[in-house]
Amino acid sequence: MRQLTKAVLFSSAILFSAGLGGAASMSSAWAQEAIIVFGSNDVGAPTYNPVKATILNTATSLIYDRLVEQDADHSFHPHLATSWETSADGLEWTFKLRQGVKFHNGEPFNAKTIEAWIPLFKGTENEFLVGGIDQVIAVDDYTVKFKMKHPDANLLFNLASVFMGVPEPKAYQAQGDKFGITEAIGTGPYKLESFTVGQETVLTRNDDYTWGSDLSVNKGPAKIEKLTFREIAEESTAFLELKTGGVDMLLSVPTEFIPELQKEKSIAVSSMPGLDVMYMPINVTSAPFTDIKVREATAFAINQKEILSSIYHGVGLEAHNFLISSLQESKVDPKYDISYDPARAKKLLDEAGWKPGGDGIRVKDGKPLKVKLWTQGDSEFKRVTEAVQAQLKAIGMQADITTFDSSTIRDQYKKNEHQLAVRSYSWGNADILDWFFSGERLGYPNISMYKDAKADELDNKALTQSRNWDERVANFKIYHEYLLSQFPFAPIYQPMQNTAYNKDRLTLPEKIRGTQIGTETFMDMTAAD
Amino acid sequence: MLSFTVRRLLMLVPVFLAVSMVIFLIIHLIPGDPIDNLLRTGSTPEQKAILTAKYGLDRSLVEQYVIWLKKLVNGDLGEAIILRRPVTALIAQNLPYSLALGGLALLFSTVVGIVTGSLAAIYKDSALDRGVMALILLGSTVPSFWLGLLMILLFSVQLGWFPVSGARNWHSLVLPVLTVGLGGTALVARVTRVAMVDVAQKDFVTLLHAKGLAPLRIQLRHVLRHALLPVVTILGLRIGWILGGAVTVEIVFARPGLGSLLIKSLNQRDYPVVQGCMLMLAIAVMLGTLLGDLIQAAVDPRVRGNLT
Repeated sequence: MRQLTKAVLFSSAILFSAGLGGAASMSSAWAQEAIIVFGSNDVGAPTYNPVKATILNTATSLIYDRLVEQDADHSFHPHLATSWETSADGLEWTFKLRQGVKFHNGEPFNAKTIEAWIPLFKGTENEFLVGGIDQVIAVDDYTVKFKMKHPDANLLFNLASVFMGVPEPKAYQAQGDKFGITEAIGTGPYKLESFTVGQETVLTRNDDYTWGSDLSVNKGPAKIEKLTFREIAEESTAFLELKTGGVDMLLSVPTEFIPELQKEKSIAVSSMPGLDVMYMPINVTSAPFTDIKVREATAFAINQKEILSSIYHGVGLEAHNFLISSLQESKVDPKYDISYDPARAKKLLDEAGWKPGGDGIRVKDGKPLKVKLWTQGDSEFKRVTEAVQAQLKAIGMQADITTFDSSTIRDQYKKNEHQLAVRSYSWGNADILDWFFSGERLGYPNISMYKDAKADELDNKALTQSRNWDERVANFKIYHEYLLSQFPFAPIYQPMQNTAYNKDRLTLPEKIRGTQIGTETFMDMTAAD
Repeated sequence: MLSFTVRRLLMLVPVFLAVSMVIFLIIHLIPGDPIDNLLRTGSTPEQKAILTAKYGLDRSLVEQYVIWLKKLVNGDLGEAIILRRPVTALIAQNLPYSLALGGLALLFSTVVGIVTGSLAAIYKDSALDRGVMALILLGSTVPSFWLGLLMILLFSVQLGWFPVSGARNWHSLVLPVLTVGLGGTALVARVTRVAMVDVAQKDFVTLLHAKGLAPLRIQLRHVLRHALLPVVTILGLRIGWILGGAVTVEIVFARPGLGSLLIKSLNQRDYPVVQGCMLMLAIAVMLGTLLGDLIQAAVDPRVRGNLT
């Protein structure tokens, strides 16, 4: 192992010096600064403290490296950890650490770092990320062992999360509450120069960086000297900034802007599968949805294909179950997938006793099939909701739309007065199923008000009793299939993550690695010729 | 004048208390919960309970209000729940941007408003009067959000004179000041025009004409001077809007400021920040009104006697 690490170090040193040579000869062609606009998910991050934050932005992944990186196909790759192994019972994990890594303040990165870092999570909102770890033992300078309280098959996923970027423990302790606000010390390819909350973050290149992960071609240092990240809440303003050359890149652009962006000669759009699913929760405790046949009919009334083509110009994917398609747990037995089938929907409603009425709305015991359909106040949601309304009408269900702002709607759900809603989530792990369907979270986030003993048992098994990743995938797949058979959700659409940039100024790698734009992309980003 | 000032200042105390109570209740009574916005996917109901207790949101509203008021007396606006900093620090960071934008916009609307209003009054019922008033009506009815985007399209995208957004230098102030200023201009111009037309019909003006003074001199030296009293009152009220009147404009131009801080925090139900911002805006309105009253009282002795 030592040999291997040395070889890695040596080759990265060669790459590094080659990179420096290149730098000298073509430095004039390199952009000194790139100005980037944060995506909507990134807006409002209050701190760069990964241990304590609940919202972190893309710049965080450039300041802090992680032990493990996750690629777009959700596979795990070495970074600050060069290799790892787990015991058969899942109660012990051993990580070999990369040598020669230094923090921005010059402190070395080694097993002692991990020993000091993991306990920092105790008592924070992110404690659950390391909840399974009982003890951290430094075996030698570059080997660390986690003794687990219980098997945690999700450990690698957690380690690859931006919340587990490794901060320098001494600076972390010394800075206290100011860490992440006035100073942020990691081992990443960029250093924090300044941070004005809600406005701007300026990063400067870490010239000592030579430890880029497997997911980037360039191992370091990064090509662009200075990155300025701006927060622009209004999407049209951000678009006009890109168009006029005021900024070089928009980290996320809504799909509806793409045709407009494509008209611009200097602008390129790069799209990759997203982590979002748009769906319609169905309140299983509210009649007529207490009848599973009505739920099933509702889910089969949604024409995913039509929504994708008419609202999103074909950009993105249809959603046929509750998870993003890139997750293994979404590859369920096809008989469980939910796809538009109006004949089946109508037949189910007939069976449930809802007979066609005079005005096209079905009737049972003299009562029309009228339901409430809630949505949030932005234009994309409104348009999808209106399409859903029309599709429900086609099977004889009248849905009346009410629009709320996003904070108000959460409180409304807790009152259990809702029936249907159009929503979306963003999450790259099957444990989102526990978040939405665990009997412990009724109201919000379990908007479907779904509580079922068998589901909770399958959930619990997948979440806490899986000993390794493969077992966890298998268990979540069973849980997912069971949920699909109960129709607490109707899947609608999976958006793409669209990034737009000025191609006269920047060149992005052809294929974006990682689950979203982050360190890997910024390492390989260069100034355009 | 001194006793008037003191009485007027004392009146601010009950107003301030009432305002603080209304602010506190409004934000706590609208649906929504900051903790929901703080929690991450995957956290447990127990964590939510811990956080709710940490920020004192499990206490009764009365208790929470008393705690807030006690801190307020000591100049402490509390700690932001989502933004995780002292609210005073957030306000200090954003206030200069609001003051610069609001102050310059007020200056713009005052100067342009008085000039155009006087012109319209002097050339009453002429094409100039109608043209100016029509433009002003248009300026005041166009939503500032839309006007801002139009400004960007013309001056930034087409002409390339000013940056689209941000607050990096004085260049980036021009379009926001014009956008906010044009809205205010309409009010000042209309008040100036109406007041001047009103004053022009007074007996003393007729006398001045009879004495053979040049009409323009009468208008500028005498009529405008008397007409400025209601204009000053209006401006006093507008001072309060310096801080909070530019919310949508701040968002269109991606500018920092109290307005955009308030809106972002309101969306996330970050109670302490919303309370702090609203309080600042309320104080600005109160002080603006006070200033207007004092100026009026200084100019017009009748006002001093009327306060009981």
